[in-house]
Amino acid sequence: MPSINLPGKNDGGHDSRFFTTQKKGEMHELKMELHSTDRNTKVDAVKKVIASMTVGKDVSSLFTDVLNCVQTGNIELKKLVYLYLINYSKSQPELALLAVNTFVKDASDPNPLIRALAVRTMGCIRVEKITEYLCDPLSRALRDEDPYVRKTAAVCVAKLYDLAPALVQERGFLEILHDLISDSNPSVVANGVAALSEIAETSGKDVMKISASVLQKLLAALNECTEWGQVFILDSLAKYAPADAREAEGIIERVTPRLQHANSAVVMSAVKVILSYMELMGSANTDTIRNLTRKLAPPLVTLLNSEPEIQYVALRNINLIVQKRPSILENEIRVFFCKYNDPIYVKMEKLEIIIKLVSEKNIDQVLLELKEYATEVDVDFVRKSVSAIGRCAVKLERAAERCIGVLLELIQTKVNYVVQESVIVIKDIFRRYPNRYESIIATLCDNLDTLDEPQAKASMIWIIGEYAERIDNADELLDNFLETFEEEDPSVQLQLLTATVKCFLKNPEDTQDMVQRVLDLATEESDNPDLRDRGFIYWRLLSTDPEAAKLVVLGDKPVIEDDTFKLEPNLLNTLIGQIATLSSIYHKPPEAFVVRASGRGVMHLGVGGDDMGEDDEEDYEDDEGIEQEDPVDLLDMGGMGINDNGAGDDLFGSSTPQAEQAVRFVKVCSEEKSGGIDVLAAYHQVNGNVLMELEFQNKSCSVPVSNLAIQLNKNAFGLSPVNQQIICNPPVQVGSSGTATVQLVANRSMLAPVQPGPASPQVQVAIKNMATSQVFYFAANFNIDAMFSSGGQMDRNAFIETWKNIDDGKEIYSTVSDLPSTDIDGIQAKFELYNIFFIARRQGMDGQEVVYFSMKTMTGMDFLAELTFKAGVNACKICLKTENTSYGHLVKNAIENLLRF
Amino acid sequence: MYRTRPEVGAHERSHTEAFFRKIKFWNEMQQSQLGGAVDGLSNNEENGKSKSEANDNSAEAGSTVSVKGKKDPPPVFVMPDGMSYLHVNRNGLIFGCSTDKNISPCTVIELLSRIAKVFKDYCGTLSEEAIRKNFILCYELLDEMIDYGYPQLTRTETLKPFVYNEPIVVQAVPNTGKMINPKTASANAVHKPVIGSVNAKGRAVNQNQKNEIFVDILERLNVIFNNNGYVVNSTIDGCIQMKSYLAGNPELRLALNEDLVIGKANAPTNSYGRVVLDDVSFHDCVNLTEFEHGRTLSFYPPDGEFVVLNYRVTGEYRTPFRIFPSVDETGPRTFEVTVMIRADMEQTHFGANVIVELPLPQCTTSATCSLMSSKNVNGPAAEYMSSEKKVLWTMKKFPGQTEQTLKVKVTLDKACTSQIRREIGPVNMNFEIPMFNVSNLNVRYLRIAENMPGYSPYRWVRYVTQSYSYVCRM
Repeated sequence: MPSINLPGKNDGGHDSRFFTTQKKGEMHELKMELHSTDRNTKVDAVKKVIASMTVGKDVSSLFTDVLNCVQTGNIELKKLVYLYLINYSKSQPELALLAVNTFVKDASDPNPLIRALAVRTMGCIRVEKITEYLCDPLSRALRDEDPYVRKTAAVCVAKLYDLAPALVQERGFLEILHDLISDSNPSVVANGVAALSEIAETSGKDVMKISASVLQKLLAALNECTEWGQVFILDSLAKYAPADAREAEGIIERVTPRLQHANSAVVMSAVKVILSYMELMGSANTDTIRNLTRKLAPPLVTLLNSEPEIQYVALRNINLIVQKRPSILENEIRVFFCKYNDPIYVKMEKLEIIIKLVSEKNIDQVLLELKEYATEVDVDFVRKSVSAIGRCAVKLERAAERCIGVLLELIQTKVNYVVQESVIVIKDIFRRYPNRYESIIATLCDNLDTLDEPQAKASMIWIIGEYAERIDNADELLDNFLETFEEEDPSVQLQLLTATVKCFLKNPEDTQDMVQRVLDLATEESDNPDLRDRGFIYWRLLSTDPEAAKLVVLGDKPVIEDDTFKLEPNLLNTLIGQIATLSSIYHKPPEAFVVRASGRGVMHLGVGGDDMGEDDEEDYEDDEGIEQEDPVDLLDMGGMGINDNGAGDDLFGSSTPQAEQAVRFVKVCSEEKSGGIDVLAAYHQVNGNVLMELEFQNKSCSVPVSNLAIQLNKNAFGLSPVNQQIICNPPVQVGSSGTATVQLVANRSMLAPVQPGPASPQVQVAIKNMATSQVFYFAANFNIDAMFSSGGQMDRNAFIETWKNIDDGKEIYSTVSDLPSTDIDGIQAKFELYNIFFIARRQGMDGQEVVYFSMKTMTGMDFLAELTFKAGVNACKICLKTENTSYGHLVKNAIENLLRF
Repeated sequence: MYRTRPEVGAHERSHTEAFFRKIKFWNEMQQSQLGGAVDGLSNNEENGKSKSEANDNSAEAGSTVSVKGKKDPPPVFVMPDGMSYLHVNRNGLIFGCSTDKNISPCTVIELLSRIAKVFKDYCGTLSEEAIRKNFILCYELLDEMIDYGYPQLTRTETLKPFVYNEPIVVQAVPNTGKMINPKTASANAVHKPVIGSVNAKGRAVNQNQKNEIFVDILERLNVIFNNNGYVVNSTIDGCIQMKSYLAGNPELRLALNEDLVIGKANAPTNSYGRVVLDDVSFHDCVNLTEFEHGRTLSFYPPDGEFVVLNYRVTGEYRTPFRIFPSVDETGPRTFEVTVMIRADMEQTHFGANVIVELPLPQCTTSATCSLMSSKNVNGPAAEYMSSEKKVLWTMKKFPGQTEQTLKVKVTLDKACTSQIRREIGPVNMNFEIPMFNVSNLNVRYLRIAENMPGYSPYRWVRYVTQSYSYVCRM
């Protein structure tokens, strides 16, 4: 029993004596009742204590008294005491440690309920000390005869992993969890899978290890386990990549019945599995795909009949699905029509989907609906409906005229916000179909007075400028706007400037003064740099060569498309894989909003997908903002990261080779870019962890380098730092140098979108010097051998099989000469250090010797190599085979380098 | 998953606060209501805190969120600090949850709904008072339902052996007219806790428990008519819902129409008169082995209210009421709106609690209503609500094969334009038709699977058709 003083207990007593005498009386009374011999009084007293606790009163002073009550055969009382304990075990673990003896004792109580309670409560005490007491009862509980205890124990493993991951592996709890997948009880299965997938996610390791047999177990469990367990199994399946289309089809067949489940979470996760696998099946199986497409529609539509909250989640997901596979719901547009009493958040989402599904077939129906929505009460909804009509026009050329008709009708209502919204979309229609619908300009001009929002004004001014020659009094209209030039929003000012210049170019006689005035206003009066710059450009253009100005200003504009809220394909693919997660609700990749949990910063904020133009540097700046906001969190994670490392060392110490991989530093950033610090980087693997070694040579940075933050951009390997903070201890003074190690993990979400062709070894890095707030960027090429996993040893037969199955076209050849040594045994030993495993060696013809090796990256890519040596020749021929062709050259380079050193 | 870590433990309270601040901000229209909500809010924070320590930030709001559901915040949102908040609104109570991971929102929302349902089953009613009085029970339930953020036992009947606290029954509050969630609120909702003959202690709580089972075939109609009285869009959203108080939990067999067709594509060409459902989804407990051939379901009914199956029908069906509106301009500033409603169902059926709303233009100065109804209509009344600029027309009973007509003479404060005319309508109709369903889906029989002599439970089978969105555009 650990002896721990109760912090604050005595102090609390002091305070309460002075301040709340009355409360003390109350506490005293409760204390008496807790020690009563009458059972009912005791039960009532504990209930009162819990009542006080629930409303936020501090009843920790009664801890020992309540704890005393646990010595009872009465389950009801015991459960109440546990209610109290579980609360304090979370908020005041020091207190709960007092009860450890009780827990250990109760963990072997004859009553399964009590055993489970004890294990559950112990798992909630988040203090390292608890682990020594927890392991044995937990180990027993995992094999308990009662399913209720087993299911509680399964969750407890996840709790323990969070606290002491090494211990969990050491005690073999993960293997037991694997066994639980085929447990006879549905709840146990569910919790086993849940715990495994959680551990897989937090650790970044593949603890789920879906092999053929595990897959069968999971599929069998899918039918047996609770609905929540089904969700976890389906989510795990979605992460699994089937070997071939046939396996994918087989799994889909087992998953399809889940589409009819009443629990929407099960349905959504099943949809996710099917969609991900359809992606893998490619276009070869058109029949299967068409068949699946037909099966997916009804369950998705059925989700729209659930509670509005579920509808919202479903609609956000459907939004992604219709972008990826429009055919699924192409005939179902009517179910997305808004109901009178839908909550507004449902209506807005439905509108988005209507626009995505609109086609020439259903446009008339849709227009009728949208027109109806435009008369509703909610302003935002009305505006969105009006804008939707315009977007239909932009999307469907043949329906554009009908859409414009409806818009004109709406403009006649003279409702302020309807008119403004109409003007905004009509501008887009003009851009889409130039010189076709100018006849309506007159109607627009009648409504100039209604416009008071910058966007609407800017749109109207653009129209006037663009069609100045068709509007008799264009100059007058612009002149009116010019009167208030200085008060206008910058966007309006810019449009006004451009429109006046256009007007001048088309009709120079009457507008000379006006253009002069607006150029003066823009260049001399305004302090907006954009406006000034544009003003100067026009001014010079007009003064040097008016004809050239005409060509520039009045040139043809590219035709636009309706891409509002359309996601760029890469992001969309990422999000399709994230269906049924929060990602799919926000339409952002998970790393864009999961800040705390992973300790990783925000990268690639693909908000709405319309910021494709952003270059990498901007992304980095976003990251910095987040880091600054939350420095405390960063520190917290730092502490944990170090613990993890220590644990990892213990665990893998024995199994990894003794010799270390060589570290080859390369200069990646020079002092000019980084404020006086040269940075050298190298990658290698230690104890199964990918490490990035950094050397900082302080050339001229007056502040010693001590505290830095690191961030990686998405890269071909999915690498990201476990911990963003880098501490140089001791601080690196000017003229000296220091090193730091950054542990990296490979993570799917950090994978750069796949480009055709060879993958780039480049890893883009941003480092922020916390002392100077300077951020510097550089790229450090990754050597892929640093991520060869220790599990890459292939069975000989499997090797031969795999070798045969890989198409010859996927072979990569190269020859390395001037080898320092051709001693095959030596090379074999060196390779093993890098997790390149020896398979076989055979004598070839003409004194050739052929050696086979296999290797596997931590991300699960297999590579097979054949090295041919010839006696007396100081060279080696490499042949590399892999299905992951885009990484082949990287592996080839890695092998070449290893042979050379 | 949505659970607390000690590092962020100190923030828990602030999560609850942040959540309510955000929700309130969304409700900025409701300035006047905020004063009243403060009371409830402080209470929420206390409850919220305790609940969040029970792994899940589930809190109850005392404030009824805005009247028409306008400006409701979306059920899932993320704050700049990366904390996501999910919530559901049941009977005006908010059940919320916060998380900083990329979890499955459907799971959380289903779980929160399940918590609300289990609370309701256990407490009898779902109200602020019921939860306040029973929070030790709710606490215990939460501990059993969620462990470390994983959903555990979430069904009333599976929870029973593990829950020791007994409910304190709270008087049911009279339903405030509009049902907040028509899917779960059954019309004659039996307001008694399900803790029947067996609970965890093994002692009988209520000896006089009746052996009974309630079966509701509930259909909610979504219909839009155009101004000629033709149906533009129509769906039926139906479910078979049960609430079982059967002792011994015997296996039940429920038989549906023998010629039932699932999926439009599977309908034979000559499917006239047959019931064709677009899609069906079943409860977990339902055994479907005999469904394909005999259209029979077998299951052990879980305790408490549960939905055996949900179904959906789109397309043509005979609407129980048809609405024919018309507008006549009688002068520059006056016009007359006529709304004729015809009940097309059989004479033996009737619409109950019929409410018809007719919005009028904002510039209306006065409106007078007159009714022409057949004799056997109970309690018809029509009234112009000048504050909301609409006419409210109510009928306690609207028998089949009859016609009701409302005439409203409207006076405006300015000349009538086409825009003002657009402000009339749409006509929105609310009703309930007892013992009637539109789809013709039938329960052929409900039997106890094994032969149990002397075991004759009361079986209450009800058909109810409700309007969900029954609108006629003008």
